[in-house]
This record gives sequence, C-alpha cells and structure tokens, in this order.
Amino acid sequence: MPRGEETGTGLAIEIADLVVRFGSGASAVLAVDHASFSVAPGSFVSLVGPSGCGKTTILNLLAGLLDAASQGSPAGRASVLGKPPRPGNPDIAYMLARDSLLPWRTALGNAAYGMEVRNVPAAEREARAKGLLERVGLGGFMDKYPKALSHGMRQRCALARTFALDSPVLLMDEPFGALDAQTKLQLEDVLIDLCAATAKTVVFVTHDLAEAVALSDRVIVMSARPGRIVADVAIDLPQPRSVRALQSDPRFHSLYSRLWTLLEQGMTP
Amino acid sequence: MTRRWLGHAAFVVALVALWEAAATGGLLDPTFFGRPSGIAAYLWKGFVSEGKLWLDLGYTLAGALLSFVGGSVCAVAAGLLFMLFPAFHRSAEPYLTLLNAMPRIALAPLFLLWFGLGIGSKIAVGFSLTFFIVLAATVAGIRSVNGDHLVLSRTLGATPRQVFSKVTLPSAVPVMFSGLRLGLIFSLLGVVGAELLAAEHGLGQTLAYLQSTFNMDGVMGLLFLLAFLGLGVTLLMNRLERRLLAWQ
Repeated sequence: MPRGEETGTGLAIEIADLVVRFGSGASAVLAVDHASFSVAPGSFVSLVGPSGCGKTTILNLLAGLLDAASQGSPAGRASVLGKPPRPGNPDIAYMLARDSLLPWRTALGNAAYGMEVRNVPAAEREARAKGLLERVGLGGFMDKYPKALSHGMRQRCALARTFALDSPVLLMDEPFGALDAQTKLQLEDVLIDLCAATAKTVVFVTHDLAEAVALSDRVIVMSARPGRIVADVAIDLPQPRSVRALQSDPRFHSLYSRLWTLLEQGMTP
Repeated sequence: MTRRWLGHAAFVVALVALWEAAATGGLLDPTFFGRPSGIAAYLWKGFVSEGKLWLDLGYTLAGALLSFVGGSVCAVAAGLLFMLFPAFHRSAEPYLTLLNAMPRIALAPLFLLWFGLGIGSKIAVGFSLTFFIVLAATVAGIRSVNGDHLVLSRTLGATPRQVFSKVTLPSAVPVMFSGLRLGLIFSLLGVVGAELLAAEHGLGQTLAYLQSTFNMDGVMGLLFLLAFLGLGVTLLMNRLERRLLAWQ
C-alpha cells in the first residue's frame, strides 16, 4: 500500500518506485514496474504509451480508486498535495473517457452534479455551473438533456462539471479519446483556455501524441506492459498555445517525431 | 390525426353493424355470441337505468387498486433490500423463482379459504401477481445502473446514500415503471380471475353468473368493459411515464 509522506517539497504529485500487480500468485500480472515521477503545482503532464501500459492504472491509483475496485496491489509511494491517495479526495477532479453525464439531469444539473455531491451551497453551485457552461460554449443549452446534445457538447458539459469542482488537481483519462478529429481539436482549445485561467495541476492520460504535445508542459512516455517510464520530455513550446496554430509549427512536429521514436523503442522490449 | 380517428370510428361502426346484421339474419347465433344492441341494452340497464353494475365495478377496481399498491410497495421495498444485502438476494432468489412459477390463479381456492369470500382473497391473488412482476423490474432496474456513473460518484466522494438517491434510484426508475404498468394490468387480471371462482361482488363474479345463465349480451358487455378498463389503465400509465421521464 503506498504511503503518502509529508515531503514538504511543494510537489503537487509524487510517485516513487510504484509497482502495481493485478491478481496474485502465478497468475499475477505486473501492470506498473518501478515508476517514479513528480509533477510541480500548476503544470500539465501527459502520460502516453501503448494500451495496457498502466497509464490509467496510475491515474486510478492517484484518485484512490485502485484498492477496492480492481484488487490491484500497489507498492511504493504516491501522494497528491502531500497526502496519500484516497477516494473522494476533494483536491482531485477526475474526468473519464466517456462523458458519464446523468441522462435525467439537464446540462446545468450535470455541470452542478460534482459540486452537489461535495456539498457546495445551492446558489454558488448554480452560479459556478452556469459560468462554466458559458465558458465551454454551452450557454444556450443549459436546460437540454444529454440525449439532445452531440458527443462534443456532452464532453464540453463533462469539462464544465470537472472544472466547476474547483479542485487544484485534475486527473483526466483520455477525455477526448472517443471524439472525432475536428471536435477533438476544438475541445483541446477549450481545455487550454480553462487551464490557463485556473492554474491547475493536470495529469492527462492519452494515446494521442499530437494531443499530448499540444497540451502539455511535459510528456512522460511509458513502455508496453509491464509499464516502465522510458522518457520524460519537456515540451518547450511557447504559451499560450493554440492547437490549430501548432499544426504548422516545425517545433511541434520535431517534438512529435521525437516522442514517436521513444514510444516505438518502448514497444519493443 | 382526425383522419385516423375517423378511420377507427368507421371501422368500429362497420363491425358493429355487420355483427348486428349477422345476428338478426341468423348467421351468428345471439345465444352464443350476443348482439350489439343487446350488449348496449345490458350496459345501459347496469349503469344507467338500474345502476347495479356500479357496485361490482367499484369492488373490482378497489381490489385491483389495493393489490397493485400493496404489491408494488412491497416489491420495491424488497428490491431495495436486495440491493442493500446482495447475500440475502442470492439466498432468497431460488425460493422466489419457485413461488413465481406457481400458477397464481390455481392458488385462488386456497386464498378463498384463508381470506374469505370477500375482497381479501381477491387482493391476495392480485398482490401475488403484481409483487413478482414489480420485484423483477426493480431488481433489473437497479442492475441497469451505468458503471461510469458509479466510478464518477466514487471519485467525487459520494456517500452510499448520495449514490443511491442521485444515481441508482433515478437510473432504475424507467425499468421499474414498465414493471408498474404491467403490474397494474395483472392486478386487475388477478382480481377478476379470483372473482370468477367465487365472490360476493365484483365484475368477475357477475360475469360467472351471466355465463351460467346464458346471458351472452351481459358476458360480452362485461368483457368489453374489462378490456376498456385495461386500455384506460395503460393509457394513463403511459401519460404519467411521459411526464415523469421527459429526459428519455
């Protein structure tokens, strides 16, 4: 079981010598193999790697979801804002690959759902949810049910729900993985805009290298199972960024191909 | 819309006219099939000029309503208990399946013995049908909850009570509702079935009497009345569902 330690180093997230096994005995699968990394407050770090490399496992561990949900047995150290991971940590807002909007709630009700669970007073809840829906471009759709929203709009609503929590740390598990390319670019810009305004610490899991380069301050490359960290690349592209403008930036492409090489090396053990 | 209704009206009028003509012409023996004019006369006498059928209708509806409410409330409560205690659910399930496999109408004589000739035995039959239908729907509804919603709620730190009231219950409602709609029809069915066997009052009891005295106009009249009752109940539930589940 990972123990959080009051490190006093001012790191938002710290993982040291993390080993995660699923199952036990001879059938045990090593999912994460001695991974160590840390994230400074306010920085945006992406985890990339082939599927099954344990990137979502690391995210789930940080969110405190690992123990009961999946019988994973972690060893090593992990901490979020100096505290050990636990489910329902109010410092964390988690965003899943699927929007997981509640179909019986309107966009406004969904944007407020997280705050409702965390007992934010009703008036403040509504004001924050409305403000964020405006920010993500759903101002005219607040009273619509999810069935009336497109995929992209639903994920915008999920973004509003996540940011409305006002947690300092965001864990995002391939939030745009299921979207078409065009919608994805739009939502990446929305995310850049929201992050720039709030200085969140973000750990972003994706298998899309272009997305990782465009959004991140750092990209951590993981190998195929068992997941090891093979590279930690600083993305020194200037801020503020626009995903669209980056498409024609040669530095963007050279970072992309460097990461691609690292990823390929990690896939062949 | 009006065109559709005009079409329906024309069809029904034609059918009734054909039936009446066939009965008058001797093609369709009114002793076995009744005749529209006779059916209308019987219902008029029963509900307007003499008004004796109101009491029977009241008994049947009261029996159906009481068995529906009792059966549904108990079934939803049992479903929630099963959700809270899955081990209890696993051990109770085979017995429930066995009970549900019993032909309920065959239990009616037993219920007559236990609960008497009055409305109690009718409620028992209706209850035994409604309970299992609504219970199955409640359990299915609770199982239909989306795993993503539970994960999200866990990361938010939702308490079990919050998960239940904000996620599990609302996701179960649509499936529960279709169970309730079916349960209401079956409560009416159970009550009328039990009344056919033996009763003091009720449409089923009247139907049995009319059958044994070869009053086919009356039998047909009551059969149509029961069919329309079932239709009315279904339409009412559909309207309620549309209002409550506008998000679907």
